[in-house]
Amino acid sequence: MSSPPSLPPRHATVGEVTRWLGEHRCSARQLIDGYLDFLEHLGREIGAVVETFPEQARAAADQSDQRRAAGEILGPLDGIPFTAKMNITTEQGTSDASSSILKGFRAHEDATAVRRLRAAGAVLTGKSNCDEFAMGASNETSSHGVVSNPWDRSRVPGGSSGGAAALAGSHGWAFHLGSDTGGSIRQPAAFCSATGFKPTWGRVSRRGLIAFGSSLDQICPVARDSEDCRQVLQVMEGHDPLDATSLTLDDETVQPISRVALVSEGFGPAIDEQIATAVQTAASQMADQGIEIIERSLPHIEAANACYQVIATAEASSNLARYDGVHIGARESSKDLQSLYETSRHRGFGSEVRRRILLGTFVLSAGYREAYYTRAQAVRDLIREGIDQVLEECDALLLPVSPFAPFPIGERIDDPIALYACDILTVTANLAGVPALALPCGFDASGLPIGMQLMGARGSDHRLLEMGSRWQQWTDHHRALPDGGAA
Amino acid sequence: MTWQTVVGLEIHAQMSTDTKMFCACVRETGSEANHNICPVCTGWPGALPVLNAAAVRRAIRAAISLGCQIQPESRFDRKNYFYPDLPKGYQISQFYRPYALGGEIHFPREDGTDAVLPLVRIHMEEDAGKSIHADDQTSRIDLNRCSSPLLEIVTEPLPMSGVEAANCVRSTREILRWIGVSDADMEKGNLRADVNVSVRPTGSDPLGTRTELKNLNSFVSIQRSVEVESARQIQVLEAGGVIRQETRLWNQEDEVTEEMRGKEDSPDYRYFPDPDLPVVIIEETDIERERSSLPETPASRRVRLVEQLQIAPREAESILSRREYGDFFDAMMAAGLSAASASNWFRGEVLRHLNELELNLDDYPLTAESIAAVVKSVEEDRISVAKGREILQKSIADGRSPTEILAETSEQVSDESTLKAWVQGVLESHPDVVDKIRAGDARLMGFLTGQVMQASKGAANPRKVQQILQRLIQQS
Repeated sequence: MSSPPSLPPRHATVGEVTRWLGEHRCSARQLIDGYLDFLEHLGREIGAVVETFPEQARAAADQSDQRRAAGEILGPLDGIPFTAKMNITTEQGTSDASSSILKGFRAHEDATAVRRLRAAGAVLTGKSNCDEFAMGASNETSSHGVVSNPWDRSRVPGGSSGGAAALAGSHGWAFHLGSDTGGSIRQPAAFCSATGFKPTWGRVSRRGLIAFGSSLDQICPVARDSEDCRQVLQVMEGHDPLDATSLTLDDETVQPISRVALVSEGFGPAIDEQIATAVQTAASQMADQGIEIIERSLPHIEAANACYQVIATAEASSNLARYDGVHIGARESSKDLQSLYETSRHRGFGSEVRRRILLGTFVLSAGYREAYYTRAQAVRDLIREGIDQVLEECDALLLPVSPFAPFPIGERIDDPIALYACDILTVTANLAGVPALALPCGFDASGLPIGMQLMGARGSDHRLLEMGSRWQQWTDHHRALPDGGAA
Repeated sequence: MTWQTVVGLEIHAQMSTDTKMFCACVRETGSEANHNICPVCTGWPGALPVLNAAAVRRAIRAAISLGCQIQPESRFDRKNYFYPDLPKGYQISQFYRPYALGGEIHFPREDGTDAVLPLVRIHMEEDAGKSIHADDQTSRIDLNRCSSPLLEIVTEPLPMSGVEAANCVRSTREILRWIGVSDADMEKGNLRADVNVSVRPTGSDPLGTRTELKNLNSFVSIQRSVEVESARQIQVLEAGGVIRQETRLWNQEDEVTEEMRGKEDSPDYRYFPDPDLPVVIIEETDIERERSSLPETPASRRVRLVEQLQIAPREAESILSRREYGDFFDAMMAAGLSAASASNWFRGEVLRHLNELELNLDDYPLTAESIAAVVKSVEEDRISVAKGREILQKSIADGRSPTEILAETSEQVSDESTLKAWVQGVLESHPDVVDKIRAGDARLMGFLTGQVMQASKGAANPRKVQQILQRLIQQS
């Protein structure tokens, strides 16, 4: 009955692996063993993996095999390996958000998204590296060290979900949970040639996501293709009684995307020419397949990054106040309360996190609040209205993810403004709360991956993912692996 | 020159919900330290607040009862500051858009007249935990209270005395208790007040500079702190000084107010809307549902008792003193008693029992219905008043229902000829007493009644015995 032990090809998507499992061409146990081997070797080598859970994962895989033998599988993700970013709480292991202040922190509780995936049979195999508290675009602010881009190990994988995207970019079979506050799933997905999806704000419960900018944060999947992201979203999404801002959105019945607008600001002088060309080429490939392509300007996009920096840091300054050395956070011994706070927070937080806390505290301070925080909220409303208006004329927007290619490790880390420039094309989706899908669309002359993104109206998540799947049926960019292991 | 004291209040009342404001933890501070806590109320990474609908319903009841305009949309803001008993590093409150605006507190002036203190707003917020500073230089944190639901009632400034300021808080306490929103027990810390005090020359219009006294937790401290602080301000002003806008501490032991921090040192709370909590939408139907389930107000109940039911105002006061008293009185009437006898038996028996047994009405073993059954037997002359009282007393002592004891009680004898026989027997054996009565000593009637009751072994209807005695003595 069962065929001799063999494993799916490395680039295989979750969908393909599910068919292997269904046809008993391999067992979940064999798959998990193989995947753990990848995590322990290449995963650790490039710094993408912080922890693995071999015993629990093997036990879960065995249970999955038993369910399958009994004809009682829990769904298409049963037996499929996944990892969670260090800022997503898990019952197993630590959840330190890659910060020294949370060193060794065990949440003892799965985030709702993780809990739902495990209940659907998916197997948590490990935790992935990320920027400290998800603040960064290069995975260089992590207390667990840098992550190398699998396509060029001297370069950054992007951030903050650098570990998750690097894993997805170098191996199939699995999916990975990251988070996106200003581009943190899409930019590393683009840098590592993976498919990453940021849902509509509120679609996926934030319970268990260690907060950075609460009004912008979402838990996101990054995987080999759009269909895998859709399967994962379907399990994670929906109202959670533990997150008052979570929603059940039903958009299954709407029409497929047929009209896409190129966003003119995504092709301006600040954007790498090879990237612009790759995305334009993608647009004409879509046009060849019958998608109507129009061009539109996205109002206020030039103000989006400044607006984002104010709102994200303001919320972060408050969200990170709890790491005070009294209740949560490494406590430094001190002579009095004031110095306990100061020393614990100074030593516990890295410099980028401290910079953002200070900035956020400043923009909320009496005397400055009106000029910064209040104004940024007004700009945010304009951005939201602007994108809503443009989306009345089309089903989705198309633009590059990153204005430039993956950069060398160390190049921007001491220049915060240069680092924040990574976000100029991604933050709009977070400010407006709309879904956005990052898809690989080719490579530049140096062989570095290029990503494009589709943004849709709030609630159009499954439409975007369906468009992504169609695009990936027409093209092969998403099947490439760094060492030439493509199909 | 004479001075006028002006007072504004911020009254904090903990709402008597089963669970906390944003999580499912039991709202109970009496337990062992840090017993009723969870990831949400202790601010664990990844935990999120979810608003307790029962707290909102109570808040709506309070706003209706204080005559506020309830806002269809309100929201929660974060008040950011560091303190060990505030584990998230911020308190969730309503700063920019509170759920209720306006309203008023009715309170008695010292001369007994009614007055009105206008409200600015009421908002919902969560409480902090408790820091316990020990003698050994350590501080301990108990988070049981952390995130308990609070109402903060903010009043306008109004000229008043210290006694009147305490009266305002007392009136508020009575309303919150009456409508079941808060236990409002100052001793347990679930009612506290901050007091803003200023003085101005009598007849002058602009307000003087105010100082704020925080966390007053007794009526005495409210009254005395206003008196002491206004006297201090007057002294400063009369000596040519100026009042600094500042927060001061009330020292209850020495009865003085002490400097705490000036306006320039006041913390910058960096309020901003809490992105974890959606806008609170209160619909007209939500308000109506609470309004229709609100108990009768003390004022309208007073009118009903005194004007409709003709109960003397003094008697009505004891029935009105607690909501459950009036409810019990109503239940006695609903069980068929007249207002007069419900009032007499409630005040004469029920309140006496509660007093003797030191019980709350909630723990009172007798029901209004069973008491009414006994009273009806009295009114129908089947048992005597004394017997009726005895049955109630016995029921409390034995734990059996009054109706059960009533059923076992032989009815008193009211039959004319039987009674007459007993009376004649007594008259014949006490001719001397009869003579004295005829000579004008009416007090001895009681002695004869007692003799008849003895002869009947307690079965005779004493009222009828008296009638027959009177008749026969006068006749012969």
